[in-house]
Amino acid sequence: MLQALADGLLTGSIYALGAIGLTLTMGILRFANFAHAEMMTWGAYMALGVLTLFSLPTAPLGPLTFGWPLILATVIAAGLTVVLALIVDRFVFGKLRGKVGHLTLVFASFGVALLIRNLINLIFGGRAQYYTSELQIAVPVAPGLRIMPDQVVVFATAIALVIAVHLFLQNTRLGLAMRAVSESPPLAQVNGISLARVVRWTWIVGGALAAVAGVLYGVSVQLRPELGFHLLLPLFAAAIAGGVGNVIGAVLGGFLIGLIESVSVLVIPAGYKLAIPFLVLLAVLYFRPTGIFAGTTGGK
Amino acid sequence: MPRTNFTALAAMAALAAGGVSLPGGAARAQDQDCQHPIGAVLSLSGSMAAIGSAIGDAGELAVEHMNAAGGLLGCEADYRLRDDQGQPSVGVDAAQSLVEVEGAEILLGAIQSGVSMPILSSVTVPNEVTQISCCSSAPSFTELAREGGTDGYWFRTLPTVRPQGFVMADLANERGYERTAVIYVNSDYGLSLARAFEEGIEAQGGSVTDMVPYNQEQASYRAEVSQALRGDPDSLFLVAFPADGATAMREWISLGGPQNLLLSNALRAEEFVSAVGAQYLTDAVGIDNAQVEGPSVEAFNQSWEERYGEPPAGPGLHTMYDAAAVGLLAAQAAGEYDGTAIRDAVREITGPGGEVIHPGPEGFARAHEVLAEGGDISYVGATGPIVFDEFGDVTGPYLIWGVGEDGALTEVETWQVERVNELMAATGG
Repeated sequence: MLQALADGLLTGSIYALGAIGLTLTMGILRFANFAHAEMMTWGAYMALGVLTLFSLPTAPLGPLTFGWPLILATVIAAGLTVVLALIVDRFVFGKLRGKVGHLTLVFASFGVALLIRNLINLIFGGRAQYYTSELQIAVPVAPGLRIMPDQVVVFATAIALVIAVHLFLQNTRLGLAMRAVSESPPLAQVNGISLARVVRWTWIVGGALAAVAGVLYGVSVQLRPELGFHLLLPLFAAAIAGGVGNVIGAVLGGFLIGLIESVSVLVIPAGYKLAIPFLVLLAVLYFRPTGIFAGTTGGK
Repeated sequence: MPRTNFTALAAMAALAAGGVSLPGGAARAQDQDCQHPIGAVLSLSGSMAAIGSAIGDAGELAVEHMNAAGGLLGCEADYRLRDDQGQPSVGVDAAQSLVEVEGAEILLGAIQSGVSMPILSSVTVPNEVTQISCCSSAPSFTELAREGGTDGYWFRTLPTVRPQGFVMADLANERGYERTAVIYVNSDYGLSLARAFEEGIEAQGGSVTDMVPYNQEQASYRAEVSQALRGDPDSLFLVAFPADGATAMREWISLGGPQNLLLSNALRAEEFVSAVGAQYLTDAVGIDNAQVEGPSVEAFNQSWEERYGEPPAGPGLHTMYDAAAVGLLAAQAAGEYDGTAIRDAVREITGPGGEVIHPGPEGFARAHEVLAEGGDISYVGATGPIVFDEFGDVTGPYLIWGVGEDGALTEVETWQVERVNELMAATGG
């Protein structure tokens, strides 16, 4: 049980990071961006690319399996992911925004997702890869609880970023502008907020978070071209459960999905784990269509 | 009329292959105005079409050999091949017409388990016709046979995964593992291998702590691994495919699972070893199907090449030839063309004990002689020695493999069919 909770929190923290970006784009850009999860894949692979390209030494930090090179690579990967997000917005979503219906944007995002995934497949190949071939052995910290040092770092990084995003949205003018656009784009524009600027920053924040989430996922699991695709459902479930546009909601939604998935295995056969995000999603949509945390303070 | 088309096609193929004269040409000219129809239902079109027609050729080759050796019970064996289009309903209709209208007492096929099963339950068993499949590997047939649903009319010449589970259980026992956890791919294959292993382990006095299924293509199997670790096992049997298997294995080792590892056949891949890291796999031991070799296999390969002008490459050719040969020889041994008599004779002409008969017209001719003298034959076919268990399943030889320090895959030992059969008999498999 303890182990399941710890695993759930770890997975949940990665879901939370991904779901923040997703909920921001859904709230501010007003469409379900299916390509968001692919940005996680992109970020994760860009970090791998940087590591391989410059053949950085993989000197581990203390008990961790990675060191400064990966941290540096993550920063570069976040930058490259932001560039990708902006390029996609410039050439795909930007061209469509305001001219076509909501569904067209959704389909366009599907296309973008396929494009990114297959591009990665083309460059890096389809097999599973790892940042390091080192295997970390979990340390028993309590009876029935084993934790890897990497997991602690992944969790801490995710939490720190979540707090940073929250402070950014609450305490900066830009954050205020983003929340305003999320609330009502026409009203925000009337008040002199530049929609283009907010959209750009939404991509920057969402893209960078996605990249970091992707790297963290790669550290704790592995890299595969389908990495993002398989995270799509949990991410959407988290964002919707939290209430679209609600950042704190998305974070809590991410943890909720992660925990339920992990704990459910104690009750139901592991083979049915995949169905859990679906069930959560269905239950939320049935009982609280606006999301469990809708109406609380947060990005909305 | 599919049959006419097929015959025409086959004739054309024979002409195209350089007008190969059938070795049975002379025998056929004898006064054999009677015919025994040998039914076959295979996928000549549909999703299995790519392999179906070659499998059909393998069945036809066996029938030709039988006719060349003097026919079947004084008559000509007439091969009647029907297309199931990969669909159960079409397959059942075809089987029904072969059995009920044309009077086939042997039905060969089908390829897909999903087609073989309805044919078995609604055509061959009710009509008391012996059905022998070359290719259906689903464990549900074993289950059905165990429950008595096949009345013994079902045989297949493709080894199931069941014996692998028993051999692995024996290895676990030999290495002193007492509490083994099983993580298996959530498919028919994975489930049946895991169940067979559990059965074998229990027969050997060990225990399985947890049986944990996993779904393919997941990024993480931490939850599954945690679940498998709950019972504090001293070893793990992993039934998986290389990519997912590596993910699960890394997490198993990361989470502190013991490195006493038993691995399934598909994990015998460089990809798996390099992704996990050879240093963690030095205590691992795995199983795989061993390549069958020997004069009987050679005899088939050679006659295939003579007949069709190329080596027999492709799935189901060897097993289909054996399916047909077993049916034909059993009918000859039974002395009458009757499904129930053929069913009862199948085990008489296979398994050790009699004079060894190899594929080909010469082998079948010798079988005729021995049977006519009242002797016993033991058919050793294109897939090597054949022993049907009580459920109509066969076993094959297995290879036990390990991983060297440098990550190279090593061969530890080979289990011949006889040893596998002994083990199965000893542990109730």
